[in-house]
Amino acid sequence: METKQFIIIGIAIALVIAVAAPFLASGDPDGLESAFFSIYGAKPFMGSELDDDAAGAAEEEVIAVTGNDFSYEALMPDYSISGMDKAGEVLAIVIGTLLMLVLVFAIAKVSARPDN
Amino acid sequence: MHIPDAFIPIGQALVYWVIALIFIALALRWARRSMGEEKIPLVAVLAAGIFAIQALNIPIPWGTSGHMVGAALAAIVLGSPFAGIFVLTLVLLVQGIIFGDGGITVMGANIVNMGVVGGFVGYYGYTGIKSVVGNTYAAAFIAGWASLFVSAIICAVELAIAGTVPLIPALTLFGTYHAIIGLIEGGITAVALYLIASARPDILEHPTGVSA
Repeated sequence: METKQFIIIGIAIALVIAVAAPFLASGDPDGLESAFFSIYGAKPFMGSELDDDAAGAAEEEVIAVTGNDFSYEALMPDYSISGMDKAGEVLAIVIGTLLMLVLVFAIAKVSARPDN
Repeated sequence: MHIPDAFIPIGQALVYWVIALIFIALALRWARRSMGEEKIPLVAVLAAGIFAIQALNIPIPWGTSGHMVGAALAAIVLGSPFAGIFVLTLVLLVQGIIFGDGGITVMGANIVNMGVVGGFVGYYGYTGIKSVVGNTYAAAFIAGWASLFVSAIICAVELAIAGTVPLIPALTLFGTYHAIIGLIEGGITAVALYLIASARPDILEHPTGVSA
């Protein structure tokens, strides 16, 4: 397969995943969050019921433990765009995917081994 | 497995940043020495694909989900653990700054866990297992699984040191959830490696013998 064709197919696969992700992705807490909530009593280890109040309290409690109250408002928090629904999530992940492509290409370009 | 800011005290978070920066410098040195210009588009596409698939949280049992990390895949395809660090650092940077996924102060820890640990366990797991079992894709699956599992164990230890969670429950719960999530990592790593090797066997630094 030609390099150009290979790269185009690669970009196409990345974009298909980016568009599909908001529709397929699970909203359940990830492994780290789930373990954290279980340890703080907001969720059973092997159960799926999340107690939102206890989860919120756990997040408050951990700031008191670590003292790290740094907060930061991201441009597209949780891969979403405020005021937009699913379309915003699709757009956010597509923008992120294209941004990665351009950013990593540029950084790889300046840091790669010169061929001559 | 992205640690949020509140989970690690600032002082400890800075220590992980220092460790991360050392490995980022080594990854840049790897790029200067070993990442040929012909690899640039592949690195960019791999990073974009890894970013997209990280947004795809797959449900596992117990009301929990998990997603691919991709350091093992990048390291295997590009033939160096430092490739995993190179790609994951940029993925985590964009995720943290633009999407608020993973903290800013603790980004060093996330780079250490997913990039450094993921890259090294993924790469050396793959080459080591392949030399023993002889099968490229079985090796990729096991190495992918191990890269995620070990990253999670290291993450649990960091959070125990931080005082966020007690060590033994953290190891038990992180270990259990990520032993399952690791199957996703291993499966996608093996499938992606197969697709890349089928399309372009020449790309892999360690040819797999799959014909185009």
